[in-house]
Amino acid sequence: MARRYDSRTTIFSPEGRLYQVEYAMEAISHAGTCLGILAEDGILLAAECRSTNKLLDSAIPSEKIYRLNENMVCSVAGITSDANVLTAELRLIAQRYQFSYGEVIPCEQLVSHLCDIKQAYTQYGGKRPFGVSLLYMGWDNKYGYQLYQSDPSGNYGGWKATCIGNNFGAAISMLKQELADKPSIKLEEAKDLAVKVLSLTLDTTKLTPEKVEMATLQRVNNTTVYSVLEKPDVEKLIEKYNKLQAETEAAKKEKQAKQPKS
Amino acid sequence: MSILAYNGGCVVAMRGKDCVAIATDHRFGVQAQTISTDFKKVFKIAPRMFLGLTGLQTDILTVRDRLMFRKNLYETRENREMAPKPFSAMLSSFLYEHRFGPYFIEPVVAGLDPKTLKPFVCNMDLIGCPNEPDDFVVAGTCAEQLYGMCETLWKPDLDPKQLFEVISQSMMNAFDRDAMSGWGATVYIIEKDTITERTLKTRMD
Amino acid sequence: METLLGIKGKDFVMLAADTTHARSIIVMKEDQNKIHKVSDNLLISTTGESGDTEQFTEFISKNIALYKMRNGYDLSPRAAAHFTRKNLADYLRSRTPYQVFMFVAGYDETEGAELAFIDYLANAKSLNYAGHGYGAMFCSSIYDRYWHPNITQDEAYDIFKKCIVEIQKRLVVNLKNFNVSVVDKDGVRNLEPISAQSLTDYNASS
Repeated sequence: MARRYDSRTTIFSPEGRLYQVEYAMEAISHAGTCLGILAEDGILLAAECRSTNKLLDSAIPSEKIYRLNENMVCSVAGITSDANVLTAELRLIAQRYQFSYGEVIPCEQLVSHLCDIKQAYTQYGGKRPFGVSLLYMGWDNKYGYQLYQSDPSGNYGGWKATCIGNNFGAAISMLKQELADKPSIKLEEAKDLAVKVLSLTLDTTKLTPEKVEMATLQRVNNTTVYSVLEKPDVEKLIEKYNKLQAETEAAKKEKQAKQPKS
Repeated sequence: MSILAYNGGCVVAMRGKDCVAIATDHRFGVQAQTISTDFKKVFKIAPRMFLGLTGLQTDILTVRDRLMFRKNLYETRENREMAPKPFSAMLSSFLYEHRFGPYFIEPVVAGLDPKTLKPFVCNMDLIGCPNEPDDFVVAGTCAEQLYGMCETLWKPDLDPKQLFEVISQSMMNAFDRDAMSGWGATVYIIEKDTITERTLKTRMD
Repeated sequence: METLLGIKGKDFVMLAADTTHARSIIVMKEDQNKIHKVSDNLLISTTGESGDTEQFTEFISKNIALYKMRNGYDLSPRAAAHFTRKNLADYLRSRTPYQVFMFVAGYDETEGAELAFIDYLANAKSLNYAGHGYGAMFCSSIYDRYWHPNITQDEAYDIFKKCIVEIQKRLVVNLKNFNVSVVDKDGVRNLEPISAQSLTDYNASS
């Protein structure tokens, strides 16, 4: 009799909503934060890592940022096991395209192809949606550097800077504010900005290098160079931010002290 | 006539001291007619690994593409470079998958292990029977001539310069006695930190 | 017996194809176009088993059109050639192989001109000049003599004339008329066909 429940499709609620999809989105908004920033000379992805147990094997270079192919990298927020299925699928899609056309898949095609699959899981019977949102950074010869975000419903969009996971709303509005007056920023500035946004949106009080993973993608001599930032480099960025923060804090206090008491 | 000799061409690879060399001719023909004289049958697979394929040109292209598909997936999944040994194992099992409808190619793999930097050469028949000697491997329409030349000129522990000389002379003198191969050659010398690509001008007839 | 010719220059590709459609010993028609416009910057010329040529080029060109519709941009000529070859290779090992010989010719702003030779086994090679069919056997030496890297469209057209003179002189089959098309930065154009008539004038002048 179990079949009677399992084979039911996701259906509209009387208010016209798809609860299963909304629940999936809800699950993601509790997951570790991921953010991406598109700079003029590259792209950056940064992710918060929750499992910082010292006993974990550190042989794996990054747990939330995955290389997809020559030109693309993604980071995930949500159920990790679901994410593994999706990244495996993404890699397969990318290689299939390369096999058919003899060139690297354009970024948007890869994203949209995966979203077709994600969408199917909101409609066909016996399945639940994937509890994963993804951020993709990539380069192609059609549109240059690109940053995409996709969610469990199968929606996707291109962004200059965006965020998924815990506290994403606050992070996006912060990014919006920071980038409001600039048409574009340099990759180095983007790194500082990522640390700032992450440290202000993280639930835990202090940002440590163990808790954050950062990766960049750039074009150098007609090849795509992807690099995961080393822990000491991340530490430097965090220190730089803390110092800046302390300075502004001190300046504020000084200003307050100077003000005549009324 | 054998389908393996439809397009012509040859490849040879040799081991040296801390280096390997692989060479290819340039001819692409359809039976006796030469269509092109710049078809290299050796492809770079990884920073220190090359794959040479002789035989039916359509299958050279197909096998190259199919192997790149599998190798790229391996590398993204494992997050490391593929070494020559597992690559050859993959190639062998891939060819044997088509045991009763094979791809008409004879592959040659040459490279250095990315970790140990140990030289590696290997060749196979069209259904993937591997042969992994510690001297040299040959393939193509002038395999017999190549065996003769390599057997005469090759000796153990050649340095990169000597190896280049030996492989070039073997290649040229072998394919000059074969109408289906030749029209120039390209030699790749793979050392631990450099790859040298050199083009040989040979008899063009 | 039917013949296709192709020449690539720095910024163009020119194709020529005879217009004869014969079945065993009978000439069915003399005005069959074998050069197909696939997109704004892509030509495919085909010969081989008569039904297969039409079917296969149609299949490829519709797929290329579909790609453009889906993605909003054209497949590059090199990718189109790869795609064509891959399909032909897949069909080769199926129960219904297509017996077609073809040239995929295109021009792209970034990649430049591309001329891909593909035969019925899906042997494929990007080339500067090539031919398919019996007529092509007489052309290799003419190409070798007259082709050069900076060849102009007029010179390429002239090489085709030389080739066709030779074909009509030496080949036992009568290939009266050849259609000529070119693809470059301005897209695809049909040039004046080369016929036995136009060649008598050509021979008289040279």
